[in-house]
Amino acid sequence: MLLTTLPFSPALSGALPKDRIRHRIEARGVSSGYHGKRVLEDISFVIEEPAIYVVLGPNGAGKTTLFRTIAGILSPCSGTVEIDGLDIGRLEARTRLQYLSHIDGIPDGLRVEEALRFYATVEGATEQDVERVVRLLGIEELRGRFFSELSQGQKKRVSVARVFLQERTIYLLDEPTSNLDPKLAREIRDLVLGLSRNDLVLYSSHNLFEAKEIGKFVLALREGKIGYFGLLSELRPAKYIIGIRAEGVEGVLSSSSKKGDYYLQELSGPEEVPKLVQELMAKGVRIREVKEMENPLEDLFS
Amino acid sequence: MPGGAGRSPAIGSLLGTTIRRTISVGWRYLAIGTALSLLLALILVLGSRNSTAFAVTFPLEVPLFAVLGSMGGLMTFTGDRTKGVFEYLIAYGVRPRTLFTNGLASTAAMAAFILALSLSVGLGAAEARGVALTWDLAKSVSFYTVPMSFAGALFTATVGMIWSSVSSPRTGLNSPVGLAPMIGIAPTVLVLIAAESVPSSEYYDVTVGAAAIIIVAVVVLLAMSARLMGRERFLSPL
Repeated sequence: MLLTTLPFSPALSGALPKDRIRHRIEARGVSSGYHGKRVLEDISFVIEEPAIYVVLGPNGAGKTTLFRTIAGILSPCSGTVEIDGLDIGRLEARTRLQYLSHIDGIPDGLRVEEALRFYATVEGATEQDVERVVRLLGIEELRGRFFSELSQGQKKRVSVARVFLQERTIYLLDEPTSNLDPKLAREIRDLVLGLSRNDLVLYSSHNLFEAKEIGKFVLALREGKIGYFGLLSELRPAKYIIGIRAEGVEGVLSSSSKKGDYYLQELSGPEEVPKLVQELMAKGVRIREVKEMENPLEDLFS
Repeated sequence: MPGGAGRSPAIGSLLGTTIRRTISVGWRYLAIGTALSLLLALILVLGSRNSTAFAVTFPLEVPLFAVLGSMGGLMTFTGDRTKGVFEYLIAYGVRPRTLFTNGLASTAAMAAFILALSLSVGLGAAEARGVALTWDLAKSVSFYTVPMSFAGALFTATVGMIWSSVSSPRTGLNSPVGLAPMIGIAPTVLVLIAAESVPSSEYYDVTVGAAAIIIVAVVVLLAMSARLMGRERFLSPL
């Protein structure tokens, strides 16, 4: 199982030149949970390279608890969380964070515009900021409607809009694209990718294809502990299987298994792909498409 | 965009917004509580020229409607908790204790609204109708109606807020929000029954004593809330 075979590096920061370090999250021996029951157990890591850090794990692994603890919403039972060297209990540390919960967090009894103004007031944002996020998320037509009347996707858009009311340097986004249609999910991902150029973004998702698309680093949790923390590009699936959509491939490949239009072939790694393609073409196979059939992130859940 | 450093939560405006939202969320309770209290006042004034009946019944029944009409405070608190509003506010640096006291303050504001309206309309109508406003009536309003309205409303809200926070979220009549009004109005109903059945010489002992007991209960609950309502009690379920 990948989680147990890959090394865990508590600090990925060694390779990052000091002049590139603008912001930093450091968790040292953090245990955290609810009502005396620990969900996170002795977690330690340092994050300082601007990028998207995808936080993965099965249900109950502790993703939301990790976000809440970093955001200062939950006090750790033991250990410390520091933001740019400041303890998360201090207001100066929290002012550098923006948090998006997996639930909407929009107060009852307010229209969309009122809800955004409510958070703008709490955050110290301006009326112009409210107008800007309304345009940014394309929710102009929703602003006069009661939040409770919106569809799940519309609610999510409003909730995400709140994240952009004020510029922060660290973003904790717990399932920001859940309940969104593919088009809007893409737009949100693009916004988040924009943030990650200069800022630290922790991003949890159950969509492994999305995680693979946007993440540079992976922080995988399992049973409250870090199972893997490293570059996503260094993750290798236990099996490397490619799918080949082609004509005239029957009897040429060593494997005869098929998934949809794709003939499946297991290789030892991506470096073998060009050689296989050349061999097939030499045998007269007309290749339409070659793609990886396994997402290495799936192994983190196995 | 403006930078984030130096931000501090606007606590004052948070309370104002909470009260506005409490009106919006609990307007049905507020409307029913207000309407019933006014209706009762008018029935008592129009139905009897007997100043003793008005002086005994009116002060005893107003707290009942104040408790009922202030339910919006509890509803807003439990809604904010389950919908994750509190965890955002805590992330922005708002202290959980502030969220708890905001819930109580908005409850008290609703009770004050009903109390002010029913007292001014009831006493005004009585005066206009020629029902004598006696010293006994003034004592009942001062030592029972006003304190019991606030104490009863805060008792309901405190019980409901603590109960809903320490239990799994439920909705419906058997949820803390569903049962809290019944628990909350129970003391005022008991006082109403007891005061009608005791000799007039014991009337003030019963009413003022009951108000004192509820005030003590609220103080005890508030003291317990600091221990019972840990930070994680304000978070939405996972």
